[in-house]
Amino acid sequence: MFRLVAADLRRNALGALAIVLIVAFAAALGVAVTLQERALRLGSARAAAAFPVIVGAAGSETQLILSAVFLQPAPLGLVPGRVLAALAADPRVAWAAPVGFGDFVEDYPIVGTTQALVDGLGGLREGQGFARLDQAVVGAHVQLRTGDRFHPLHGQASSGGHMHGETTYEVVGRLAPTGTPWDRAVLVPIEAVWRTHGMEALEEAAEGAHGHAGETPGEDGHAGQQPAGDEPAGEELAGDGHADPAQQHAGPATDPHARIDAARVTAAGAPGVPAIVVKPRSIADAYKLRQEWRTDTTLALFPAEVLTRLYATLGDARRVLSAVAMGAQALVAAAILLVILLHVGQRRRQIGALRAFGAPRLAVFAVVWMEGFALLGLGLLSGIGLGYGAALAIAARLQAQSGVALPVLFTADDLAPLLLLAGATAALAAVPALLAYRQSPAAALRG
Amino acid sequence: MPTLTVEELEVRFPGLDTPALAIPRLGIAAGARIGLTGPSGSGKTTLLNLITGLERAGTGRILWDGTDIARLSEGRRDRWRAANVGLVMQDFHLFDGLSARDNVLLPLRLARFALPAGAGEEADRLLGRVGIERRGQKVETLSRGQKQRVAVARALIARPGILIADEPTASLDAEAGAVVAALLTELAMEAGATLIVASHDPRLLERLDRVVRLEAGRIRPAEG
Repeated sequence: MFRLVAADLRRNALGALAIVLIVAFAAALGVAVTLQERALRLGSARAAAAFPVIVGAAGSETQLILSAVFLQPAPLGLVPGRVLAALAADPRVAWAAPVGFGDFVEDYPIVGTTQALVDGLGGLREGQGFARLDQAVVGAHVQLRTGDRFHPLHGQASSGGHMHGETTYEVVGRLAPTGTPWDRAVLVPIEAVWRTHGMEALEEAAEGAHGHAGETPGEDGHAGQQPAGDEPAGEELAGDGHADPAQQHAGPATDPHARIDAARVTAAGAPGVPAIVVKPRSIADAYKLRQEWRTDTTLALFPAEVLTRLYATLGDARRVLSAVAMGAQALVAAAILLVILLHVGQRRRQIGALRAFGAPRLAVFAVVWMEGFALLGLGLLSGIGLGYGAALAIAARLQAQSGVALPVLFTADDLAPLLLLAGATAALAAVPALLAYRQSPAAALRG
Repeated sequence: MPTLTVEELEVRFPGLDTPALAIPRLGIAAGARIGLTGPSGSGKTTLLNLITGLERAGTGRILWDGTDIARLSEGRRDRWRAANVGLVMQDFHLFDGLSARDNVLLPLRLARFALPAGAGEEADRLLGRVGIERRGQKVETLSRGQKQRVAVARALIARPGILIADEPTASLDAEAGAVVAALLTELAMEAGATLIVASHDPRLLERLDRVVRLEAGRIRPAEG
């Protein structure tokens, strides 16, 4: 019986191949949509996992997450230095680290922060952490080597930024891979960021504030210079402490080779930062901290919470895509059914002969069903493979662009729909088999 | 060696006043070799379909050794046919893509999951007997005469007591037809099977014991 099925399929090899391919592409469409959506969801959730609570200036929650977790450049309001000081002193906080951005080296974002975040991201794979203001730690996928030196660029090279020629960093360490956009980040001491921009502001002041021609005040400087709420202008990162050397303990150090002074970052008079990553000691602490720092001027949020809202939107999009894919699959199923029915019609004589030579009806049913199921099943299986491959390829492209590792994987939840699909395939293959089963052998032989 | 007794058989098609086939009585002795002839449309194939159980008789009885196949269900007729009838048809109905040997064995393979012991040897013996040397050759590469000889071997693989052929030589040239005609009659004799052949081929008919002539669905007395 199997030989007969195999011989039949061999004889119609091209047609069989076409059916397998069509089924495969239709199945791949659905599989790719499901896997890709899951990959995006898991990938972004994992990327946010190192960031339990984010505190920023009042504004858009989504933008704060996009900037602090996914390192999307955008002007953000600044959180005053006293907030970081208060968080660092809070007993419910395991660690709190500032995140300051705006500069780039090539297309890698430079993030000013402290050792706490380096550890929080998973620590170093090689080299050492930054100990001086002119040292940097690079993400796992940054194309810079230990010992490389670079100048930060204000704005991305690809969109025409300007060079901070007076500042030079040396790469001293590399982070372990995190599967997040931080794999493409260059981490430097936050004080170095303050210093770079503080000195610039000083120069600008000296040159009569001609500034960067063409830039609006909001874009000048980093992650927004707009005062955050009640802070006096003097507290902003520009120029703080430079006018008065006596206040240097609270402002950026002027010596680029100076060692990092952790106390200066968390001093009450320190400059503002766009965002603060806070690691609470317990879940209860997390909720309390989020509650306390939701004020008129500051925003505290769980990235997971914001992402969940985004996923809801993403989920709607997936449902639409799934519906489109299912529609395509239904059309393909109908077309295939038509092809198989025509094929059975052409094979009436053969089927009649099988009966005449003593094949029980069940055997005829089995032969036709097996042929159909073999084709559809093979198409389905290759479609799953194809969809998986496509999702992997898309994920790899997205990962290269964003740095977010997108895990393409099947879960136990996929089993039910796959079994359902296999059942539907078996049922679909039974339609022509049933027709063959009901055919009168005498009539078929005559035809 | 089954005996066939047909009684009061009548087949009517809708819209026709006279029955397409009306046979009050026909008896064929076990082991007989019977020819069935008559103009096309006279009901030869219909009669063959009825006595092989491919079609169900509406009225009348078709008794093979006391079993009235007109009363059997479709599934039981299939089983009865698989066990008792070997069929040879004008258009061979071999399955392309399978070898001559696999074609001969196909009825057995379809009827049960495993081949009965000795089936392979029997297939080889039959193919040797009908003169097919290359048993692994795909049937679509055989000549028409060879194809019909493979079909004859296939009809005999299940050792049926009844061998039925419907115009077995009509689509063959004279030489190949003569070979097939000789094989059919000889093999039926060797197997001890009752042979019923519908044919216009005088060289085939002259080898048979008796010729029944059908005209407009009725049996006419045979000439000579």
